[in-house]
Amino acid sequence: MMRTIEVFLVIIIITTAFIISSFFAVLPQPRQVSPLNLRRLALTTLETLDGDYDLSGTAFKSSGDPAWGELQIALSACLPPNIVYNLTVYEVLSGGTQLYTLIHSISNAESLGVSSDASSYLVASSNVTFSVVPEKIGERTGGGTLYILNCSDANGWWITGYTGQSLAGDLYRLLSPYFKTTIMLQNTTQLAKILDGMSIQGETLPNATVINTVGEAVPIPSGYYATQGYDSGHTSYAKYCYILGQKIRGFNWTWVSIVGYPLYYVSNTGLFTGPNDQNTYGIYGMKCVGPSGFNAFLDGLDNKGYGDWRWNGYEWVYDSGWITGDKEDDPRLASVSLSPEAIYYCNYYGIYPSPYQMATRALPSWIRDTYHLPDTHITYILNPVGNWIPGAVFRHVVSNRIEGSFLALGLTRSPDIRLTALGLLCAYKPRLYRSEYTASGTSRLIVLQLGQVGGV
Amino acid sequence: MTGSTIDHLVSLMVFLGAILLFIGLFNQTIQTAILYQHHRSIATKCSDLLDNMLLNPGNPLDWGKNNCPLTGFGLQDPEFMQYRLSSFSLMRLLSSSGNRVYYSQTGKWYSNVSWGIGGGYFLLQESECINYSTASKLLGINGTYGFQLTITPTVDVTIVEDKIVTDHLRLNVTVMGQGFPLAGASVDYLIFWANSTTGDFRANTTETNAVGFVLLDFDGNGLPRIEVSQNQTAYTFIARVSLGGLRGVGYLSRETVTKAGNIMPFIENYEDGTILLAHKWGKNDPGEECQGALHFNATFYVLPDNFSPIKSDVLNLTGGPWLVNYGQKKPFYAVQIPPEARNEAGFLVVTYWREDESAYEYGMVVMPWGIGTIGISVIFGDNPSGKEWVATDIRQVLVNNIAYQAKLALWSLEGYQVIG
Repeated sequence: MMRTIEVFLVIIIITTAFIISSFFAVLPQPRQVSPLNLRRLALTTLETLDGDYDLSGTAFKSSGDPAWGELQIALSACLPPNIVYNLTVYEVLSGGTQLYTLIHSISNAESLGVSSDASSYLVASSNVTFSVVPEKIGERTGGGTLYILNCSDANGWWITGYTGQSLAGDLYRLLSPYFKTTIMLQNTTQLAKILDGMSIQGETLPNATVINTVGEAVPIPSGYYATQGYDSGHTSYAKYCYILGQKIRGFNWTWVSIVGYPLYYVSNTGLFTGPNDQNTYGIYGMKCVGPSGFNAFLDGLDNKGYGDWRWNGYEWVYDSGWITGDKEDDPRLASVSLSPEAIYYCNYYGIYPSPYQMATRALPSWIRDTYHLPDTHITYILNPVGNWIPGAVFRHVVSNRIEGSFLALGLTRSPDIRLTALGLLCAYKPRLYRSEYTASGTSRLIVLQLGQVGGV
Repeated sequence: MTGSTIDHLVSLMVFLGAILLFIGLFNQTIQTAILYQHHRSIATKCSDLLDNMLLNPGNPLDWGKNNCPLTGFGLQDPEFMQYRLSSFSLMRLLSSSGNRVYYSQTGKWYSNVSWGIGGGYFLLQESECINYSTASKLLGINGTYGFQLTITPTVDVTIVEDKIVTDHLRLNVTVMGQGFPLAGASVDYLIFWANSTTGDFRANTTETNAVGFVLLDFDGNGLPRIEVSQNQTAYTFIARVSLGGLRGVGYLSRETVTKAGNIMPFIENYEDGTILLAHKWGKNDPGEECQGALHFNATFYVLPDNFSPIKSDVLNLTGGPWLVNYGQKKPFYAVQIPPEARNEAGFLVVTYWREDESAYEYGMVVMPWGIGTIGISVIFGDNPSGKEWVATDIRQVLVNNIAYQAKLALWSLEGYQVIG
C-alpha cells in the first residue's frame, strides 16, 4: 500500500513539474514566429520616398506646408494596409546636452500595437554645402605635378566640338585640386623645356602627369625635337614619339591620351606651314604619323631600339603597324562599360561620365607582355573585352619598379574628359577629407516606426 | 507477503503508466517548440536571402545587359547603392507568372512576363533567361529552400478606355497605392497615336482628384481629338504619377485584332537587341481570315528620368518593306534596337495597320526595354502554394526610380525530423 502511495506522490510531483514548466515555457504568437522585418521595411520605405530627394525636401519644410500631407498620402500608399506607422522628424543639434528636438510627426494610428520596430534616416538640407579637401597627389609618393598641354601653336584632331584649349581649361578645373602643382603648357616651347628636364616655375619634374589635350595629335616642339624626331629615311615623325616614350620612362611620367589612336599625328602650326602640311582631312599645321607613332612610343618606353620598319605594300610602317581594335574585331567593343573600380570612384569623386562608351581604338592585350606592362599594375577604366583593352592606365614595370606610365582611352570622338579625370583619379586614388556632417540646422533625423495590426 | 507483491506490481504499473503519459505531454511541448524554432529560422533566412538578392549586383556586374553566364546572383543596379534594382537584370529572370510561350516559326520557347496585358508584351527567349535552378544554386540554397520572388509596382496605375463615349477617346486613370488612393498626385503622361492621316505624340501633365482618379478627354478641347471607333486610330498611353517621393507608372496600348490579324514582339537576342515582330496568327486565336498582310512601323524610345522620350529608329534586319503576311510565308520581321540605345531603359512601340479599299484598321503594342519603364511586374521562382510553411518578407525598392515592392516567399525543402 505504501508503494502505491509513494507512486501517487511521484505522480503529483511530476504533474506539478509539468504544470510549472508549461507555465514558464510560453510559446510565441504565430506573428512573432515568422515576423515581417519591420525595421528593414521602414528603412527601405524611407529610402524609396527619398529616391528623388523629396523626403529630404519635405523634412525641412514648415509644419503647415502641404508637402507633409503629400508625404502622409505617399506613406499610406506604399505600406501594406495592415501596417500602421508613426513618422517623426527631429532637428539634429550640436553642442549642449540635448541632441534632438521634435519638429513634426505624422501617424495613421493612435498606437502601434504590441510590437513595433523603427528605422532612422538622416537627411541633409539642400542648401547646405559641405567642403571637401582632397589629398594632393604626390604628397605621399613624390612628384605631384600636372602638366596640361594647352599649346596655342598646335591643332587638334578627334576633339570635334572642342579645342585643345577649352579641354585644357576643363581639365584644369577638374584635376588641379588633386595635384600639388598644375601647369598649363602654353606652347610647344614650354613643352620642349620640360622634355629637356627644366622646370617651368620650380615644380617637381619627375613623377609628373602630362595630359595631351589635342586628341590623336601631339604637339611637337620645333628645333631639337623636330629635327631629331624626324626619320628622314621613312619621312616620318615616329622618331619623335619614340623620344617621347624614352622621356616618359626617364622621368617616370604618366602620359595621357584622351581619345582615339594615341600619337597618330604631330602638330605645330609654326613648323608645318606648307600647303601639304595637313592631316589628310584638311586640318593644317600637322603631319600624319599613323600607327607608327604609338608603336615607336611603346618601344621608347620599354627601352627597345628604334628602327624596326617594314613595307606593308602601301607604306612604311613601324613595327606592327595598326594595332588597335574596333567592333569589326569584336562586336562587343561597340558598347564597353566602366570597370567596377571606375564605378566605385564615380561616387567617391562625384564624376559621372556615361557608363557605356563606344571603343574604336582599343589597345590589344598582347602589349602587356611585349612592353612590360603587367596586368597586376594596370588600372582598368573600362572593362576589357576579349583581347582588347578600351581604356586603362598602363604602368611600365622594370625589376618591380615603375618606369613610366600612360593612360590610353581608345574611344571614339568626341572625347569625354570626365573619363580622363576619372581614370587618373582611379590610378592615384587621392583621399577626400570631408567636413563635419552634423552642422547645426543642416541635418534632420527621420524616424519611421512601423507596427502590425490585425490577426494574432 | 502476497499483499506486498501486489502493492509493488500495482505501484509499478501506475508509475510506468504515469511516466508514459508525461513523456507524451512533454514531447508534445518540445515538438511544438522545435517547429516554432524551425519556422523562425526560415523567417530569418527569408529576410537575409531577400537582402542578399537586393543588395548585391551579381557577377558579372552587368549581367543584365548581356547574355553572359552568371556566376553570382544579385539584382542591385551596379550604378547605385542600397535598394535600387537593375531593370535589365530583372528582364533576364525566367518568368513564372504566365505560361511559357512556344513559337513554332523559330522553334523556341519564350519566357512570358507579359502576354498582351494592356497591349504590352514582354517575351524573352528562354535560353537567354536565368532560371530558378541556376539562381538557387548561385544563392546556395539548392535542395534546402524553395523560393518565389515577386517584384510588383507599389503604385497601381490603371488606365481604361471609357466605352460610354464613342465619338472620341476618353481614358479613365485610377491611381492606387497599397489599398490607399493617391490623391492630388501629379500625372505626367505621353500619348503616341497613329491613323491613316497622321502619327503624332503629345506629352502633358495633370493631377488626380481626392480618390486618385483622373479623366482625360481627347475631344479636341484642350487635348487633341482622337477617334478610335472602328479601329481607325491606335495609341499607346504611358502615365507616370508622383506624390511625396512615391512614383508609379502605368500604360495602355490599343492592341486591336484587325481583319488581317495583329502583331506581337519576341525578343530573339537579348544582347544585340534583335526583336522579331511576329504576325500573331499561328500563335493566337484569330480566325483563318486573320493571316493577311499587315503593315507596321516600329520605333524605340529611350525614356530618361525626366520622362521626355528620345526617339531612336530601330535597325531593319530583314530588309524590304515593313510588312508581315502569314499567308504569304512572311510570319515575322526582324528589327534591332540600335547599339547606342540598347543600354538605356525605354520601350518599343509597334504600330500596325491593315490596308484595303474599304478602310484602314490600326493597332499598337508596346514592349518595355528594362522592367520599370512601363511598370510591369516580375514573378520568379517556384510556386509556394501547398508548401507546409512559407515565410515572407517585403522590401521597398526602386527600379528606374519607380517604386516597387520586392516580396520573397521562402520555404524549407527539408524535413523537420519531428516525431509524433
